[in-house]
Amino acid sequence: MSEQDTTESPTEAASTIEDTNETATTDTGEDVSAKTDPIAAAPEESILEVRDLDAGYGDLQILEDVDLNVGGGEYVTIVGPNGAGKSTVMKSVFGLTTYMGGTVIFDGEDIHGLRPEDIIYKGISYVPQNDNVFPNLSVQENLEMGAYILDEVPPERLQDVYDRFPILEDRKSQNAGSMSGGQRQMVAMGRALMLDPDLLLLDEPSAGLAPDLVDEMFDRIDRINDDGTAILMVEQNAKEALRRCDRGYVLAQGQNGYVDTGDRLLADEEVRQQFLGG
Amino acid sequence: MIYSLNNVNYLQDEHDLANSMASSQWLPGESENPVINAIRGRVLLLLALGVFVTLIIDLIAGLAGVELLEVGGRTLGGDIALDTLIDRLRTGLIVGLIFGLAGIGLSMTYSILNFANFSHGDLFTTGAFTGWGVALLIAGWGAGDAGYLLLARSGTGPNPNEIGASIVASPLAILIGVVVSAVVTVAVALLADRFVYRPMRDREGISLLIASIGVALALRSFIQFVYGPQTRGVTAIEGVQEKNFLGTGMSVDLHQLTLLVVSLALMIGMHLLLQRTKLGKAMRAMADNKDLALVTGIPTERIVRATWILGAGLAGVAGFLYVLERGTMNFNVGWFLLLFIFAGVILGGIGSIYGAIAGGLVIGMVQEVSLIWISSDFNAAAAFAIMILVLLYRPEGIFGGVTTA
Repeated sequence: MSEQDTTESPTEAASTIEDTNETATTDTGEDVSAKTDPIAAAPEESILEVRDLDAGYGDLQILEDVDLNVGGGEYVTIVGPNGAGKSTVMKSVFGLTTYMGGTVIFDGEDIHGLRPEDIIYKGISYVPQNDNVFPNLSVQENLEMGAYILDEVPPERLQDVYDRFPILEDRKSQNAGSMSGGQRQMVAMGRALMLDPDLLLLDEPSAGLAPDLVDEMFDRIDRINDDGTAILMVEQNAKEALRRCDRGYVLAQGQNGYVDTGDRLLADEEVRQQFLGG
Repeated sequence: MIYSLNNVNYLQDEHDLANSMASSQWLPGESENPVINAIRGRVLLLLALGVFVTLIIDLIAGLAGVELLEVGGRTLGGDIALDTLIDRLRTGLIVGLIFGLAGIGLSMTYSILNFANFSHGDLFTTGAFTGWGVALLIAGWGAGDAGYLLLARSGTGPNPNEIGASIVASPLAILIGVVVSAVVTVAVALLADRFVYRPMRDREGISLLIASIGVALALRSFIQFVYGPQTRGVTAIEGVQEKNFLGTGMSVDLHQLTLLVVSLALMIGMHLLLQRTKLGKAMRAMADNKDLALVTGIPTERIVRATWILGAGLAGVAGFLYVLERGTMNFNVGWFLLLFIFAGVILGGIGSIYGAIAGGLVIGMVQEVSLIWISSDFNAAAAFAIMILVLLYRPEGIFGGVTTA
């Protein structure tokens, strides 16, 4: 995959940003796939730091030299066209893809190759895009599964999730499979919040939701973030996601395209035209 | 094509036509035309209903001793003794419980490991032979050569009544036999998982299914080799038929009673385990969605091991109890029953343990009660006819869906 596939003229792109090569990732050095604003792109202390990540499925490589970091309590989104590898980045952080090179540092420790239960133990929770509840388990049982790695379900965590999503407490005995899409999304997020993670990975939380529910969902994510949980989110609904987040990455064809604060990415003409539909 | 032409005649405008074409697709066996659906739906169902009603009339008339009419040498009504019916229902319940108990494991392996395990019948046989070997050894301690007893009367030695293995003569031997049948069967299943199924964990269900047929053959041959090919009696009969049970005047087969109590206790235990315990909930979660179970932090390999332990343990105990009630066994016992266990599991809705129990009971009942009308050469066909009927009108089975809940 050549660098030029990603951005046709990277120096013109993100023209409002001072061009530095600090986090550029190419071996050749002849081209720069990531546009970096030193202030916006480097949080004071990264909780998650992905460097030169190559990953894919089996023999098929999807990600090439992806760099990404998330600061403690930061809200970061990854946007980009279909097939850009957005979800793959997230799955790779969680160890669900075939590792092909690079590092994934969480909390100062390389976590690549760890089993999901160990990664959860370190403080990352993941909400997949589809089929993210256990349909034949009750709401409460779904939440209990979120705390499986603990010997006992901490009652205060369960109460905390119920306080955040009161409708789940009303329906705690109902099978998750019989709930509406928006409620299921709450069950899925509640399950992921049971261990009070430091970093929450959200894969397209607005997918399949009715438009009026999408806003509510984003509000909820804002509140989770306000309470101190860092968020790494992949979103199809790119404009809204960039409006809400602290920082955004534009991913194209498995490589870093642009990175900047959400507002600046939204304002960037090149990004708008290529990725946000004008 | 005929359907589509008919449809065109009814259509009001092109909009309807487009809708109809888009929605119906003309899949074989699937029609949007309600008339065709209704006719197809009713032919078989009406036929089955007709047969069922005739049989019920015959049964009632037979019980009342009334002869209604005679057709070609067969009579509707006539003489069916009430005792015969009660006897059939009782045997049906007993056989059904065995099918149900053995079916739980089959259903769980299907929903959690994603394959139809054809070696399940031979796990049943494993439990029967190993459990009875030990039960005979304990019950007949000193009565005969230890090797002869441990190999479940392979060779020559004292007869079953001299050994005295029954719930009356040696309850402890029976109890230990139950435990041994479970433990050894679990060990065999875990070995098979370690060396056969685990290396192919990510393969498709069909590869695993074929591997399980291999395991079944190997297991059966091994049992035949070690224990010998002959059919042997193992239980003592003295005092087992209690003529005046607890002073009620009822005649009760104590071995049937043992089977009933143990299997019901195990079924209730399974229910509580799945609904109340963390392990059980995790098993249900994994049956629901393996990928999500993995990212939720559920240790999936440990759950798989628990599935084998529970499923194989129940299969082994079912094998032991079946022989306790029958009195005899040979190395084919589980293999021959496997099809019925499968039928029960499929009828109940594969993946559901409650479906496995209910389906097993239905298959057992139909198989035994049908003996009132047909000879024992054909009663299996009756059980499978019911299975096919249920699958035609409720394809997902009685309890439906891939779930252990």
